[in-house]
Amino acid sequence: MSEVLIEAVGLSTGYAPGEPALRGVTFAANAGQIVAVLGPNGGGKTTLMRALLGELPPFEGRVDVHGEIAYVPQTEQARLDFPVSALDVALMGAYRRTPWWKRLGRAEHDRALQALDRVGLRERAKDRFGTLSGGQRQRVLIARALVQDAPILLLDEPFSGVDRASEATILGLLGQLRAQGHALLICTHDIEQGRGFDRVLGVHGEQTFFGPGAALDAAALERTYGSEIVTLGEGAAIAVQCHHHDHEHDQHG
Amino acid sequence: MLEAFDLPFMQRALVAVLLLSVAGGLLGAWVVLRRLAFFSHAVGTATFPGLVVAAPWGIAAPLAALGSALLFTAGLTRLIRDPRLGPDGATGLLVVAALALGALLASDVYPAGTGVDQLLFGTLLGLDDADLWLAAAVAAGALVLTLALGRTWLATGFEPQTARTLGVSRARGDWALLAGLAVAVVAMLPAVGALLAATLLVVPAATVRLVARSVPQLLAGSVLLGATEGVVALWFAYELDLPPGPVLALLSGVIFGVVALGQAAAARRPVPVP
Ligand SMILES: Nc1ncnc2c1ncn2[C@@H]1O[C@H](COP(=O)(O)OP(=O)(O)OP(=O)(O)O)[C@@H](O)[C@H]1O
Ligand SMILES: [Mg+2]
Repeated sequence: MSEVLIEAVGLSTGYAPGEPALRGVTFAANAGQIVAVLGPNGGGKTTLMRALLGELPPFEGRVDVHGEIAYVPQTEQARLDFPVSALDVALMGAYRRTPWWKRLGRAEHDRALQALDRVGLRERAKDRFGTLSGGQRQRVLIARALVQDAPILLLDEPFSGVDRASEATILGLLGQLRAQGHALLICTHDIEQGRGFDRVLGVHGEQTFFGPGAALDAAALERTYGSEIVTLGEGAAIAVQCHHHDHEHDQHG
Repeated sequence: MLEAFDLPFMQRALVAVLLLSVAGGLLGAWVVLRRLAFFSHAVGTATFPGLVVAAPWGIAAPLAALGSALLFTAGLTRLIRDPRLGPDGATGLLVVAALALGALLASDVYPAGTGVDQLLFGTLLGLDDADLWLAAAVAAGALVLTLALGRTWLATGFEPQTARTLGVSRARGDWALLAGLAVAVVAMLPAVGALLAATLLVVPAATVRLVARSVPQLLAGSVLLGATEGVVALWFAYELDLPPGPVLALLSGVIFGVVALGQAAAARRPVPVP
């Protein structure tokens, strides 16, 4: 499988016309690929996701999307006071394929429960969403994306606030989706993790890198995290050592 | 004890209250979930200029009120997009403008006697067939809207960022909810008037909201509580010879207070802000 599911060509986008927040993005994610999106805070990772979703217009270039998109946003803005259970939230993933005059049937309930099971929250299915912890809520939103069963998944820092064990579980799950031919875009601050995916896309106001993780060299890292290296001594040390002294990464990160 | 409901005008009032509590409960559930209480109150008040000009211009009062309310809603959906103003700011701005316009028209342009007070407070005991049919239509409309758009309203209210990727249209849902509320408020005018329409829409649902564990519970509970409160208020008003609208507002307010206090006592935590 190598058909392109989502791609951008010469994409420039932003929040005010004439002031692009992100320029010159050209990349493609094929079926069965995970693309890591790396970049410093304010680098344009979330901006890219919103442009791919069609929320932000292309100022230049274009975005081609072949299929439905499931999206797990970065800053979860969910209303914690809503009377909805974790199961209700996961079931929202079935809205698109259920016409309004039909109930969300048994099959969809089973699917939603299974998705919660896969993120390790089966036994919390009946609990109010607002009473779950931050990391658990993040996992419910990932379960909702699983229920959507869309060919394309955009995950904006899906592991922020998620504990190591759950992160490993979810990574395994995303690997299964990849094997089934989904295309995934994952924003992350974990350079080593990003390197392990099929492709890495670096952004820092503009595209700084696109290619296999192995090709992400010191120059590309500096282009991506460059200004941080100058202004933030510590961050630079980590970013640079990630490349030059891989074995020391754990001590620093 | 229930002979009050043998009287024809009381029976009409009873039917009206039951129909309006269906519309009020179903839409009210979304009002409290989507934090539209201020809008529900404002849109009733925004009918004021329309009602003032209705008689002099020879327009049926409900139509004039509806026109006024929908203009207000359309203006609001435009203003609401300005992030500097915010939804409450935009609502406040427009409702003040509507009130000022209505007051000017009522005092300077048209002589007193347009029955504004009656339209603000309603006459639950003097309804005609047309009023009842309108209430029935609105109850049916609220039911259809809730069935058709409930998932849209839930998904966008819960988390607007992802609504689109879930396949629901936020813009369409929001407009339908605001316009549906405007129509419902206008339908409630003859019975409870502009000032108390918000009572039917907000208070029963806000009360049930305190204890509901799911959205279907909230929807059904709001309708049931609204209907019960309406019937009891009618009976009280008849027995005590008081106007039913204010009795209903007072009664539902007291029940909200009791439930909120009871819940706070049970949970041993501060009284939740509605
Ligand atoms: N809603 C907005 N309106 C205007 N500018 C914005 C908005 N959101 C982000 N920006 C700007 O766009 C640029 C890219 O921001 P973006 O949120 O895409 O960064 P990011 O890579 O996701 O950062 P982080 O790692 O902090 O999530 C920043 O300069 C930011 O100030
Ligand atoms: Mg971001």
